[in-house]
Amino acid sequence: MSTPLILLPGDEVPSDYLPPTKSNPLKLGPGLRLLSQPTASSKSSNHVLTATQAGLLATDAKRNTVSLQSFSNRRYIPTTNDLVIAQIHHSSVDYFHCMVTPHTAHAMLGQLSFEGATKKTRPMLKQGDLVYARVLSVGVGAGAEVELTCVNPATGKAEPGGLGPLVGGMVFDVSTGMAARLLRASSPSAEKSDTVDGLVVLAELGKKLESLGGFEIAVGRNGKIWVDCSNAGESAVKVTVAIGQCLQSTDERNLDAADQKKLVTKILRGMKLA
Amino acid sequence: MVEPTASLSTLNRADGSASYKCPATGYDVLGSVNAPIELPARRDALKPEDATIEVFVKPGNTTAGVGERYVEGILRSVLTEVVLGRERGYPRRGVVITLAIVGGGSVERGDSYLTVLPALLHTSLLALLSASVPLAMTFSSALLGVTKSGDIVRDPSAADAKAASSLHVLAFSSKGHLLLNESEGCFDFDTWELIRERAVSICRGAAVSGTGEDVAMGERSNDARLDGFVRETVEDRLHVDYAWKIESN
Repeated sequence: MSTPLILLPGDEVPSDYLPPTKSNPLKLGPGLRLLSQPTASSKSSNHVLTATQAGLLATDAKRNTVSLQSFSNRRYIPTTNDLVIAQIHHSSVDYFHCMVTPHTAHAMLGQLSFEGATKKTRPMLKQGDLVYARVLSVGVGAGAEVELTCVNPATGKAEPGGLGPLVGGMVFDVSTGMAARLLRASSPSAEKSDTVDGLVVLAELGKKLESLGGFEIAVGRNGKIWVDCSNAGESAVKVTVAIGQCLQSTDERNLDAADQKKLVTKILRGMKLA
Repeated sequence: MVEPTASLSTLNRADGSASYKCPATGYDVLGSVNAPIELPARRDALKPEDATIEVFVKPGNTTAGVGERYVEGILRSVLTEVVLGRERGYPRRGVVITLAIVGGGSVERGDSYLTVLPALLHTSLLALLSASVPLAMTFSSALLGVTKSGDIVRDPSAADAKAASSLHVLAFSSKGHLLLNESEGCFDFDTWELIRERAVSICRGAAVSGTGEDVAMGERSNDARLDGFVRETVEDRLHVDYAWKIESN
């Protein structure tokens, strides 16, 4: 990869930064748009990619995509197929009304959109319970309802795995940029390499906490991380808090790989866990 | 000339924010942007395919009055040109920009409001960038005053602005187009042409011809271009946010 390129709105994306042309068309991610400039010399119009936000240009040669990574502390805006951690606000006949982000309209989660749920065997969620859900649709225009689901409607399975009520554990808030990074790092395509997006904090925690029974983690794109380590027995609370602290400090202080390892050692030692 | 200073994302709960301080005029402005948000009432009937932009200017020590309403109108018309209100998620939703003049004294009733306008424009641009609102371009803006003797002064202080025979605020887009031209007082076309050349050299560092040459040379040499200032502020913040990514490469 070449030197990072920072673009401001209106800047053109230089063509040598784009992935090499292949048979399949280039996909544009957020922050970029295609403009065509009619040229005076020839009849064919000239296409240019311009930025609409300020950010770092990110290209993926394998999937042939190009996008712009903007500031990481922005508010979460629901997008279809995002995985989010939602909290039940109240329940009505057909739906659970959930909170995905504060101060916005509630998202709807069908009473039956859980794996294997029927009218008789549906989860009885109370106010304050957590669910790990996928954004099914966001509607059109202002005032539209966001709909969540915990099941793939085509197969009836909780796909990808782990969707459904989150029992026990604790939720930590991080920036939306950090949540996206954690999700990228845990995606199946990223498993081969050790450090994706400069994140080693989870791998390091996993190594150090293996003897205590490990931990379970769920990342929501809305900037929430759910951590559970009910296997850890007596030290469960300490381990949960330590993991949350590690993730939050990594996010706030923009730590690099070496500092993340140091942080994990320091926090675990401070908690007398390692 | 002392460069303005700015920082991005200073407020935690706003979608985007910026603080901006201009040492020459002494204004200190704090701006926040919330976008896209649901509008409380149905204010979308007129332009159903576009976003609604609202600007609020709050002076530090009094309530907003006629002067604030006047600059709010100017800001709204400029920012409507810049914000891409038809991108996904924005039509029929609101982009709310709140600008608080927190330092540098307020504009007295009856005084020209043009002296704050460049600071307000830069703050709102930086806050919009920080909120990742889709924009067609960036811009930079300059305040120029013409003294009674006919000299052109950049960023006149409050007292100088009161004594000036005319005041001008010009804004140029990142593509070099003139976005805004607000003038007050008595001047002729030749003066305005000089003002424009001077403003181009301040905002974009472009070479100018004619009588403004020596002035422009001075400003080009110390590299005090305002569009460069906006870019540097944004790049600094992105370097901080993406330190993990930039350093690992």
